[in-house]
Amino acid sequence: MKKSYLLIAASAALCIASCKSKIEPEKPTAGDADFSNYIAIGNSLTSGFSDGTLYRSGQENSYPSMLAAQFQLAGGGEFKQPLLPGEAGWPIVPAAGYNPRRVMGYSTDCLGVKSLSPVFYALPIDTAGSSASIASQGPFNNQGVPGIRCIDYTLTGYGIFNPYSARFYTNPGSTKPLDQALLAKPTFFTMWLGSNDVLGYATSGGTGANGGVAIGDISPLSVFKASYEASVNALMALNAKGVLINIPDVTAIPYFTTVPIKGLVLTRQGQADSLNAAYGGLNGIHFNVGANYWVIADSSVTGNIRQIKEGEYVCLSIPQNNLKCLGWGSVVPIPDGYVLDMQEVNNVKSATTAFNLVIEDVATKNHLGYVDANAYLSSLQSGITWNGVSYNPTFVTGGAFSLDGVHLTPRGYALIANEILRVINTTYHSTLPMVDINSKNGVLFP
Amino acid sequence: MKKICTLTAAAIVASSMAFGGSFQLNLQGIRQTAMGGTGVAWPWDASTIFFNPGGLARLQGIQAYGSVNFVQPNVKYIQTPTGGYSSSTQSHTSTPFAIYVGGPLMKDSRLAVGVGVYTPFGSRLDWGNNWAGRFIVEDISLHSIFIQPTASYAINDYVSIGAGFVYAIGTVDINKAIPLQDLNGNNGQARLNGNASGYGYNLGVQVKATKDLQFGVSYRSKVNMEVNNGDATFNVPSSVAGNFPNTNFATKLPLPSILTVGAGYRFCENFMVQADVVFAGWKTYDSLSFDFAENKAVQDTHDPRSYKNTVAYRLGVHYDVSKSFAVMAGGAYDPTPTKDNLLSPDAVDADRITLSCGATYQPLPKLTIMAALNYTTTPKHEVSYDPASFSGAYQIKSLLPAIGLSYSF
Repeated sequence: MKKSYLLIAASAALCIASCKSKIEPEKPTAGDADFSNYIAIGNSLTSGFSDGTLYRSGQENSYPSMLAAQFQLAGGGEFKQPLLPGEAGWPIVPAAGYNPRRVMGYSTDCLGVKSLSPVFYALPIDTAGSSASIASQGPFNNQGVPGIRCIDYTLTGYGIFNPYSARFYTNPGSTKPLDQALLAKPTFFTMWLGSNDVLGYATSGGTGANGGVAIGDISPLSVFKASYEASVNALMALNAKGVLINIPDVTAIPYFTTVPIKGLVLTRQGQADSLNAAYGGLNGIHFNVGANYWVIADSSVTGNIRQIKEGEYVCLSIPQNNLKCLGWGSVVPIPDGYVLDMQEVNNVKSATTAFNLVIEDVATKNHLGYVDANAYLSSLQSGITWNGVSYNPTFVTGGAFSLDGVHLTPRGYALIANEILRVINTTYHSTLPMVDINSKNGVLFP
Repeated sequence: MKKICTLTAAAIVASSMAFGGSFQLNLQGIRQTAMGGTGVAWPWDASTIFFNPGGLARLQGIQAYGSVNFVQPNVKYIQTPTGGYSSSTQSHTSTPFAIYVGGPLMKDSRLAVGVGVYTPFGSRLDWGNNWAGRFIVEDISLHSIFIQPTASYAINDYVSIGAGFVYAIGTVDINKAIPLQDLNGNNGQARLNGNASGYGYNLGVQVKATKDLQFGVSYRSKVNMEVNNGDATFNVPSSVAGNFPNTNFATKLPLPSILTVGAGYRFCENFMVQADVVFAGWKTYDSLSFDFAENKAVQDTHDPRSYKNTVAYRLGVHYDVSKSFAVMAGGAYDPTPTKDNLLSPDAVDADRITLSCGATYQPLPKLTIMAALNYTTTPKHEVSYDPASFSGAYQIKSLLPAIGLSYSF
């Protein structure tokens, strides 16, 4: 009897001492890269912009900040970001198109129907102190500036015209954005520039010029190329290593794919008949009971009016109430600024292709890593699964895109971070681990 | 917003919950546990009702037998190929038990009857609700109890046969996270729990070739554990709760057939060796499906498992120190039925190596006190669960004590 007790007591003691697994993960290595001073160059995507604005927790979940956390497992240094104090978004000047952050909430439309949809942040506005310059706390590792284009990167004095850069650039009025990035003397960099050289044109419905330097234009290829090469050359002169990230096809983002082009739903034959009679078959305009293509404005056709076609897009910015209650898309054509027509789509796509060829060429010549974000985000179309969660580009429910339909959620940024890490590991023989995407936030629901 | 739940539905499809993997428990007798799990050839005591019903007619008389095991496995996950992340399952002790009553109806009777109540399958893995695989499984608990009335008949002095009918009952309880976050960032939760039942049988032939050489074969049939009216409970943000009504579910878990062939040989008066080869028909566990009564956001799921049949080897030795005191030792090699690219964290498994020992003591001629200690480990096993894109390496370690009593009438 005593022996049994002894045996049990001994086994209990042994269990505590020896019965836990002691396996540990392999330690990540830096390979040929030196992550001690990492600088992220880019635009809103790099800054952590999300839900239509920049706010602190969005910045804290920027993809460069996630990359830096992985770099720190293999010799990476401190990663300083120009953090804003608040969560409401900044700047907030609705008249100038700067709105607060979008969140999921309830709103009532013109028909009196209440539904769950993105609405503006209603908690107290916490922007106090946001405009004050924090340049003295720099240099900052995250050099992402919302709105900045590749062609702006070598433009002296740019910093002062952009509220985001004005608050953290030293001497924004007399330096180039590139100078600010070089100030920090990076040993490693990521560069994701160029999206705004096409995006502004696309989101404003292609009303700008194809080959111009105004906001809303597609940048001229020669200017783009010169600025891109100059920027990378300056970084190479510091002996920095890094990766270049190309421009995603903006027509695949929810901003353009959420509003259906065949969104005019007629329930009675009488509606179709009276619309058909009113248009009298102009430019083939025709309606049936069921789903019909919207009527849009197009100055290139007779009567400046036609129905939208497959391959064209309606912007997410279109006022939904105008579609529902003011006859937009049926008796009133949808204005050009909310539509990306076939010619504009082609302009965007060919500019994206041309810019990406420049980026790939610069990467090859300088032996830098090349992240094909365009190909990666198009693979998101068919869904990417991570640790049991599936992500796709669907607005609100897909988990990857934030409530502005252009920028990503923290989980979406983590997807990109992992693709960048994969390329870094391949290019520099490092063994950095992937980010746990699901540990970040996606879209939050009330 | 009606599409809100495609996301979640897709996630559940990609990662639906599963029962355990090699969730077989070889803990139905103390002596056998102490001898590496061997026991089909030698009818040591009433636990032969489980190990080989054919051996029951060889007992000297009616015996009552009870044993309990204290199982507290440690499973650790590490991120691969490199990383800074690891996670271990939380400790919970479960207590698989066995109770047998049976033996020849009277002295020198050729017919024996008995009943066994035992727990041949079960597992509990609790990864917690904050670990990297929480959208696949947070916590899974499976219990089964088999009730087996048995009859055994000694055809002659050499061969005896036996058969038992198995009625199985069980419970399943699975928790996992749903990727829908509330305003504080908390994920939704799903819980699936229900009762299962099934039927089967257990056949055995025991051959006493000589006093010192015995053989045995047993065949335990497949048991389909069916859950018909399980409860699926969802806790998601209120704005999307309408898409996640609580509902019922049905599922089926096949417990594999097990064919065991073994021999025992007494080398000298107080020392014997026994060995078993165990064929487990795990191939029957091809996939795992959940059928929900109401499909709004939550779609029915169908996950590939593609288990392989396995052959395990077990060896044990028994030494009588004195008339009333004996010691035992043994070992086993149990290859995993799982595939490396389909290993879900709800059913972690790898090739298992078991070492065991034990002792019995008879303070009175009719009473035996038994104890065993079983140590099981696996090598570090690098795997993935492709349907959920989840990969990593695991190791299992377990040291379990077991005690038991038997009384011969």
